[in-house]
Amino acid sequence: MAVSSSAASIPRRPAAFGWARIPAIVRYPLVGAVLVAAWHYYAVHKGSLFMATPWQTVQEFWHGWRNGSLSEPTWATLRLLLEGIGIGAAIAAVLTAFATLSKIGEDALVLLTAVLNPLPGVAVLPIAMLLFGLNESAVRFVIANATIWPIAIAVSTGFKTANQTLVAVGRNVGLSRVRVITDVLAPAALPQAISGVRTAWAFGWRTIIAAELVFGVAGSSGGLGNYINNARQYFLTPQVFAGLLTIAILGVVFETLFGQLERRTVIRWGMKTS
Amino acid sequence: MRTLSGRMPRRQARVAPSEHEPSGPLLRVEHVRLGYWTARQFTVAVEDVSFDVEAGERIIVIGPSGCGKSTLLKAIAGFIEPAGGLIQMAGRTSLAPGPDRAVVFQEFDQLFPWRSVLSNVAYPLRVNGHRRRAAIAKARQYLELTNLAHAADRYPHQLSGGMKQRVAIARALALDPTLLLMDEPFGSLDAITRQRLQTELNRIVEQTRVTLLFVTHSIEEALVLGDRIVVLGDAPSRVIATVDIRGLGGPETVEYSQMRGRLRELLAVDKEEVEEIGGLE
Ligand SMILES: Nc1ncnc2c1ncn2[C@@H]1O[C@H](COP(=O)(O)OP(=O)(O)OP(=O)(O)O)[C@@H](O)[C@H]1O
Ligand SMILES: [Mg+2]
Repeated sequence: MAVSSSAASIPRRPAAFGWARIPAIVRYPLVGAVLVAAWHYYAVHKGSLFMATPWQTVQEFWHGWRNGSLSEPTWATLRLLLEGIGIGAAIAAVLTAFATLSKIGEDALVLLTAVLNPLPGVAVLPIAMLLFGLNESAVRFVIANATIWPIAIAVSTGFKTANQTLVAVGRNVGLSRVRVITDVLAPAALPQAISGVRTAWAFGWRTIIAAELVFGVAGSSGGLGNYINNARQYFLTPQVFAGLLTIAILGVVFETLFGQLERRTVIRWGMKTS
Repeated sequence: MRTLSGRMPRRQARVAPSEHEPSGPLLRVEHVRLGYWTARQFTVAVEDVSFDVEAGERIIVIGPSGCGKSTLLKAIAGFIEPAGGLIQMAGRTSLAPGPDRAVVFQEFDQLFPWRSVLSNVAYPLRVNGHRRRAAIAKARQYLELTNLAHAADRYPHQLSGGMKQRVAIARALALDPTLLLMDEPFGSLDAITRQRLQTELNRIVEQTRVTLLFVTHSIEEALVLGDRIVVLGDAPSRVIATVDIRGLGGPETVEYSQMRGRLRELLAVDKEEVEEIGGLE
């Protein structure tokens, strides 16, 4: 196989004995088992009103996904989240393109990012509620705001650090200024763009769950944060835990999806080492 | 393998392409002055350079490192506006970058990493109005020409440095440029690969009859590839001499070593570098 030129291929000193020599498929389940056991004993010690055991959690999770009481809020939250991130990513793309084409655009982007990026996502919710009322649009607005800035920062860093020789090649083969952005800068910035969307995804998740927990808004059906909050109010502790488990699993699923996306694009093209 | 050890047989008469005005050179560089703005001051890289390139000619620009060869080439390609003087291509003076002056850059990372080798060559053709199938067919043809047909489906990061340069050459040639601009394309290759590519390039230029402007700082390379050699001095550079080497014999002839000696003097090169380049035969 071709030798990859990454620093990642520096060999680590092989451990002569012990834990590191056990294969990963055994190591992770072992650690997991220990953690689950700890959780179990703590829950039993604490009492079922305040802590659900792992088994109760799994049962409730299964139950909730079978009868829809957990899956429906989850889908509702995911749908809103995707819509918000979609809007945010689109606005980020337009802003960055505009910033690349004009100096005014660049200044605007720099100012907006400096002011709005440090704001915690939920902090904007009161304004959103004043603007849109207590509905889904308010949530979309908040999510979009939470995702635009990490994506815009990542993409414009990608544009700025893009290989200038490639830009020159693009112009040399006859690309217009706009097509240099779409055909050269955009793919060149893909590694940063993907990690930007990753960050945006994490921000969006935190924001939407927090928004639902605090304000209970997510349209008529109610979302995952709502589900958790309701369950807490009625001391349906296993439901609280099943909701948390859902969030954790979704996190792992999306991490895997992003990893796949990277493997099929930037890693395959040698733009990022695995 | 006589070509490996030196010059290809010269063409006796070249047919000038009829696309541009019949009179006058294809490229005219007149008292061109070039430089860069750094921290509010203008640093001159090229002081005053003039030369003409006829259609079908192979012009070599040679000069010490940092004398402004790449700067000059970028100006001809349309990336840098002259601060003085005139660059005229086929009668036109306001030159935006374009595929009529396809460039092979000095840098290795000039291929789009997200495109396969084939797509790197075919995509510029698509940009210039070829249909998909025609572009791919033509790209394959030029990869064949540069001995890269077997690597068509690989990605650039899976290629060696020399292969990457050959893809860039194929890409530039496939565009059918009026003028092919090459900036030390073999500069960072080992001597053996360099000689092989020089031979290939000579063959390709024979075959396609493209006008070539080739930048190098190697005297040997200039003698192997050129019809005429433009010698630049240290930065801020001027033309020290323009030498016609058409009809010069192979490296075994007296004429050839005299010419090499003369260029060496002009450039005041260390003996060692010349030994290193010539020591392969
Ligand atoms: N982007 C730039 N900004 C400022 N100065 C530059 C820039 N590029 C080149 N220069 C300067 O211009 C001069 C000529 O550079 P150029 O790259 O044209 O040299 P060169 O003849 O191609 O050298 P080499 O043979 O090493 O490639 C150098 O002094 C260099 O420092
Ligand atoms: Mg150079």
